[in-house]
Amino acid sequence: MKPTAVGVVGVGRIGTMHTLNLVRHVPEARVKAVASPRIDPAWADELGIPVATTEADVLLRDPEIEAVVIATPSGRHVEMIRRAARAGKHIFCEKPVAFEEERIEDAIAAAKAAGVQLQVGFNRRFDPSICRLAEAVHAGEVGDLHGLRVINRDPKAPPIDFVRRSGGMFFDFTIHDFDVVRFISGSEIEELYAVGAVLVDPEIGAAGDIDTAVITARLTNGALCVIDNSRQTNYGYDQRFEAFGSKGNLVVDNTQPTTMESYLKNGVFTDKPFPGFVERYQDAFIRELESFITCVRDGSPVKVTAEDALAAVKAAAAAKISALENRPVRLSDAPMTAGRTGP
Amino acid sequence: MRKITTAVVGAGRIGTIHANNLIGMPGARVKTVADPYIVPEDWSSRGIVPTLDPADVMEDPEIDAVLICSPTPTHAEFTEQAARAGKHVFCEKPIALDPDRVRTTLEVVAHAGVKLQVGFNRRFDPTFSRLRQAVVDGEIGDVHLVKIVARDPAPPPPEYVRDSGGMFLDMTIHDFDMVRFLSGSEVEEVQAFGAVLVDPTIGEAGDVDTAVVTLKLTNGALAVIENSRQAVFGYDQRIEVFGSRGGIEAFNESPCQVRLRTEAGIRGSNPLYFFLERYQRSFVAELEAFINSIQEDTQPPVTGQDGLIPLLIGVAATRSMRENRPVRVDSPPPPSTEAP
Repeated sequence: MKPTAVGVVGVGRIGTMHTLNLVRHVPEARVKAVASPRIDPAWADELGIPVATTEADVLLRDPEIEAVVIATPSGRHVEMIRRAARAGKHIFCEKPVAFEEERIEDAIAAAKAAGVQLQVGFNRRFDPSICRLAEAVHAGEVGDLHGLRVINRDPKAPPIDFVRRSGGMFFDFTIHDFDVVRFISGSEIEELYAVGAVLVDPEIGAAGDIDTAVITARLTNGALCVIDNSRQTNYGYDQRFEAFGSKGNLVVDNTQPTTMESYLKNGVFTDKPFPGFVERYQDAFIRELESFITCVRDGSPVKVTAEDALAAVKAAAAAKISALENRPVRLSDAPMTAGRTGP
Repeated sequence: MRKITTAVVGAGRIGTIHANNLIGMPGARVKTVADPYIVPEDWSSRGIVPTLDPADVMEDPEIDAVLICSPTPTHAEFTEQAARAGKHVFCEKPIALDPDRVRTTLEVVAHAGVKLQVGFNRRFDPTFSRLRQAVVDGEIGDVHLVKIVARDPAPPPPEYVRDSGGMFLDMTIHDFDMVRFLSGSEVEEVQAFGAVLVDPTIGEAGDVDTAVVTLKLTNGALAVIENSRQAVFGYDQRIEVFGSRGGIEAFNESPCQVRLRTEAGIRGSNPLYFFLERYQRSFVAELEAFINSIQEDTQPPVTGQDGLIPLLIGVAATRSMRENRPVRVDSPPPPSTEAP
């Protein structure tokens, strides 16, 4: 069976990474085309990608291309999904699909009508440690789940321009945590309480967003859950996960570039965690594409669906209301419009 | 330095520990231990006067300081009796479950002009002291987040639960104190989710066994506490303080530091089993600090206000859970009522 021809739409930071991962690490895929208004044909040529175009349509019209990776700016995801679905391409779309529930539902409907696969880029579901944690929870290794802890903290606050168009921290950042909670627990978020604060950078506050948050949640299986977020650690990308249950506790700690420990007069030192998500979730980014290509090739259902994206957005919308109105919010009560009005 | 003559009222588990810790402490001696169920030989053999009647302690002019280690409902009354008798008081937490009762006691103490220290022992744990020091020294910059995991190894019997005041007043109260201690800030508002996941009889007794509590602090920082009445692997006590320049984290302590590597996997030791083991050193250090504050005539490191405020936070958390909404913490009375 020859490799599946893939097109990548959007080659910013994430699109470039996905392209490189496909070229280097996913032999079942062949990147045939890359499309971006700012495409560098020499770069594509170096990677052995035959088609470099500024027009996504060139790629969508190519009958040989079976699957597309959408890594355009977030605001264009749904439109690209619709176009790709109409063109009969299987779709891998970066998160967020959209901030509004009805637009995600549009994307789901478009993929369904066209009979194409649609996978969403919740990469953490493919991280070996998080997968192992989820498997252990599902296998009952800690008995009934009583508590989940997710720590998600960025190394450095993003530029303020990014903050302005990010949809707000709950939609941009915590959304991964909402998804990981659903993934690990195998349960839904029933009710949550979110508090936000501007402690890292007053400019983030001036832009109408927050940079620090604590979200507590009650899951449908009864377990309680705590997520904490910060936009800036100074010591690296802090990603830790715990699942506490009737039979014990499972802990996934940070991973580091090296395992060296230095025992010195003024203390014992180890490496800081990886500097960012690209390094920390390197394996996960490769494995999510491998999984996508496998599903495209054998027709099995994708592992992360747009319904998962929808559930995470619902949680983000509820968190936003909770923080604004300072009250616990049941997800079933959160209005669908919550994501529409900026951060 | 003058040796402080002490007496212990209540010779149960914690009273016995305190009495034993005072024996041999350079600045103190234990003269009397009072308890209605006392076993006299346990104490007389070591030169300590056993008595059934706490009045023997209160009326003894030689006794400088009294440790109140009796059952919780008697703490306030004994504290007041000792204060009126002019004795400095170390009182186990909580002084009382009703904040108004605590306020009355604090007034009596203030009027008597004696010192009162409340038994929030964890402040004296070397590990948590180090966390506080990191905050004070600015090693992690401004505090943004305090995270506490506190899980007991096994749930208490249902009859204990019924009289405990509920998990927030009985168990989480230590964590409320720790948030104040580590952040150096007050708690403005709390929101609590609770659940009965460990033991249905706890639910039948009207309490919860699992909880998460979010706290907003006056300095703008956030805190979150996770509690369970049962961690099957042992006493789970971990704290992280995260700030503008980094974070500091305290892990569980084990009875021994080993790692067993076999075909079955790699295995470390469980945490120390419960609070007596985990906080052993803190129980000594809190009494040393109490004795020291009497000798030096300084304010005890954990004051009556420090005893009252976590109770107010616990009351707010209990209401938050019941009414499913964030609840603001009642302001404590001004610190002018504080004993010197």
